[in-house]
Amino acid sequence: MITLTHFLVVSACIFAAGMYAVLARRNAIMVLVGIELIINAAILNLVAFGRYDSTHYGGQVFAVFAIVLAAAGVAVALAIILNVYQHYKTINPEDIRDLKEK
Amino acid sequence: MPQPSVTYLPFVALAAVLLPFAGSLLSAIAGRRSQSGAIAITAIAGSLLTAAYVFAQVWGNAPVHGQWQWFVIGETPFHVGLLLDNQSVLMLLLVPLIALPVHLYSVAYMKGDPGIHRYWMYLGLFCFAMMALVVADNLFLLYVCWELVGFASYLLIGFWFTRDTAVQANKKAFIVNRIGDIGLLIGIAILYAQFGTLDIRTLFDPHGLVAASVVADGQWIASGRSMPAIWLTLSGLAFLLGAIAKSAQFPLHVWLPDAMEGPTAVSSLIHAATMVAAGVFLLARIFPLFNGTALMVMACIGVFTACMAAYFALTQYDIKKILAFSTISQLGFMVAGIGMGAYHAALFHLATHAFFKCLLFLAAGAVIHEMQHLNKQYGLEIDPQDIRGMGGLRRQMPLTFTVMAIAALALGGFPLTGGFLSKDALLVHALEWGAIQPGLLRLLPYFLFAAAGLTAFYIARLIFKVFVAPPAIDRLTQIHEVGKWMLVPMLFLAACSLFLVFSLHPFDVGRAWLTQGMVPDTLPPTLPAAHTLVPVTATLIALLMAWLAWKWYVKGAYPLRTTGLLYKLSLNQGYLDKLYDLAVISPVLRLSHVLREADRYLVDGTIDGLGRLGRLLAALAGWMDQYVVDGTVRLIGKIAYGLGNVLRRTQTGRVQYYLFTMFFIVLIVLLYQMIIHA
Amino acid sequence: MESILFYCFATVAVGTSFILVSMRNIARALFLFFVVLFAMAGLYVFALADFVALTQILIYVGGVLVLLLFAFMLSNKELLNQLQAGTSHFFALPVWQALTVALLFLGVLLYAALQFDRHEPQWIAAAREAGTVITPTDRTVQHLGIHLMTRYLLPFEVISVLLMMALMGAAHLARKGGQT
Repeated sequence: MITLTHFLVVSACIFAAGMYAVLARRNAIMVLVGIELIINAAILNLVAFGRYDSTHYGGQVFAVFAIVLAAAGVAVALAIILNVYQHYKTINPEDIRDLKEK
Repeated sequence: MPQPSVTYLPFVALAAVLLPFAGSLLSAIAGRRSQSGAIAITAIAGSLLTAAYVFAQVWGNAPVHGQWQWFVIGETPFHVGLLLDNQSVLMLLLVPLIALPVHLYSVAYMKGDPGIHRYWMYLGLFCFAMMALVVADNLFLLYVCWELVGFASYLLIGFWFTRDTAVQANKKAFIVNRIGDIGLLIGIAILYAQFGTLDIRTLFDPHGLVAASVVADGQWIASGRSMPAIWLTLSGLAFLLGAIAKSAQFPLHVWLPDAMEGPTAVSSLIHAATMVAAGVFLLARIFPLFNGTALMVMACIGVFTACMAAYFALTQYDIKKILAFSTISQLGFMVAGIGMGAYHAALFHLATHAFFKCLLFLAAGAVIHEMQHLNKQYGLEIDPQDIRGMGGLRRQMPLTFTVMAIAALALGGFPLTGGFLSKDALLVHALEWGAIQPGLLRLLPYFLFAAAGLTAFYIARLIFKVFVAPPAIDRLTQIHEVGKWMLVPMLFLAACSLFLVFSLHPFDVGRAWLTQGMVPDTLPPTLPAAHTLVPVTATLIALLMAWLAWKWYVKGAYPLRTTGLLYKLSLNQGYLDKLYDLAVISPVLRLSHVLREADRYLVDGTIDGLGRLGRLLAALAGWMDQYVVDGTVRLIGKIAYGLGNVLRRTQTGRVQYYLFTMFFIVLIVLLYQMIIHA
Repeated sequence: MESILFYCFATVAVGTSFILVSMRNIARALFLFFVVLFAMAGLYVFALADFVALTQILIYVGGVLVLLLFAFMLSNKELLNQLQAGTSHFFALPVWQALTVALLFLGVLLYAALQFDRHEPQWIAAAREAGTVITPTDRTVQHLGIHLMTRYLLPFEVISVLLMMALMGAAHLARKGGQT
């Protein structure tokens, strides 16, 4: 029997991995990947809890919303990354420290 | 008396007064170039001539009063002027008459002194001040001149200011004179308060304000004003105090013996005509002011001083000290004479005394001068002023001996001298006065006789010791006569000491022209017997005393122990100096010390303490400001700075770092929640 | 059987994600991300959310991942070169601060998850009692559609607008040149 706890443990692991990617990686795309992992962990939790709500299907609906929003976020983020790359010739977040234009 | 026809007399008199001053000023301007004293001698000679002219014009005539407005205070005009009456012209003549020989004498005596240019300057100032004093027509001007005389004497006594004793002496003279000056000033103030004027003629004329004022019901009433009668006595005593200090009467006589520190020529001037005469002159000038009490006090002081100083003179060894006490004694005679109402006799004695005392000093100066010369010549170390080191000088200095003997005879009151006339006049008046006095006051004249006897003794002692007694050391035979610059003035003064100058009749004082010029209005009834008896008695006493001195000092039959109380009392001048030292000077000094300490520790200490407290508070405030106020501000700044510095590191601009921090904080919160709920 | 499949998917998802984040080469990591997304979609199916799983595959695999690859290829020329040349280090060295925080978070989350049975929310128990639990036989897609168009219409519309704004913004940002 697959209980809620199983999902929670898996999502926790995915979340930790995503978080590590966000914090540690020196590449904006990998940071973005880390964010997607975290979002996926959250979506997993949503659907796992949504199993106990057949009347409103809240979990699944919001999982769909989250996926859509994540996709939109990724689109915007990638656009920004490309602009940043054009500007700084790098996408290492370490090197992108100047808020003002040079 | 016919009015003198000339109105320019005041100007002539003014010229006489101002000539010495001009000489003094010229000497001052010339400085070191005026060493010969030619300027000063010319000035004083000119002054003598003009004074003689004034004297001839005024003497025996009505007074001449030249007056000019000086300044106006409010409604009250002050006048300055010259009052030329018999008294003042006599003094006006006397001063240059004495001063001229002294000037001439000084040429030789002061020769080679490095400060001689100052000497001429001071001498001129001195004569000017004294002459201005005698002709001053109001008390205020007189007071100014009085101070000038004191100041000039201060300068002259301290002429050799490198000597400590001279400095002490002139300081002493000045301070003691200040006491008298206060008295004079108080007297002037009282008179001005009462009469509203200080004009001498207005006040002291036979019909003047003072004569017109009356004492009634314990009130002293004059021209509409009145004050308690005690003020009349007090004003008299105040003036008397001034005269006491100036004329060296007991108890303020102490400055005079010390004033011998000045040059001998100066001493002769001070003692003869200028300084000490001022007091006597003042008393004679304002005579109408004195009431019975003041006169009685004056007479007592005069008599006591005469006896005391003569007594002190008996045992002194310093030739100048003897003469100094002699002066005090003679001044005592004069003051006593004024106190007894015979100011004409007193002034007469002042005049005769001026000549022979001046001569005595000059002769003593000659002896001292030669003794110093001897010292220098043979490298001796004898004190040139100590009569114990002298003797037998009559052979080497016959002219000096002669003139000094004449002066001594005059001082001793022997017949055929001026001193005989004036002293007998005084004694006769004293007897006449004593005859109508109550109680013990009758005895005062006899004390004067005693003083006269002592005078004869000590002056005979001086002469015998110096000139007649066997020489103390053999070297004295090498001494020789002084030069003519010193002899001529002495011979002149010796001539003036003889009776012929004052009276054609050698024995009758009543015939003296000098006394006839200013006989007081009121005199005690004459005792015809006294006029014969007194001169004879006095002469006999003097002779007796001289013989005694001869026996003791020349023959060497000295009968007294030098350890006796009376002897010591005399030698130490009655211990008065020590008494003053103990009673006045030490307490004053102690008080000064106490006050100084108080000032230093209490007043200054308080101020210092306040200052220190202020500084401490300031330091505290500064510390507070620096460390607490500024410190707080700086601490806040530092904290902000440090915080900023720390936080600055967090503002790296690295997104991941921010994220890390965020996650870390969330983690901490979660852990905290977990621990709380666990 | 069902549990075994779940464990397989879970293991693939978790293991691949761990490898992914520690991989040096981004291109490879992106392809591993592909695997993770598929495994996650499988796990959604186990949570009885078939539509969500499909959406995941469609949007993520078909859209997001392709976008990421494009972005990667547009930006990381050096890395592309590295990719072609091959790299000496397969894995990046772990960054210890990030690792610490991540592991601590993992610890906290695991602790919470393992404690979950004892603190089961009441609404889950109530739903279990009331039988309002989604069962494998439910027609979830139909229900979802009905709910989206009825109960969740407003969020749906808001999100669609937001989506449009995001796409417009992304397009604007991605335009060439510095035109404003």
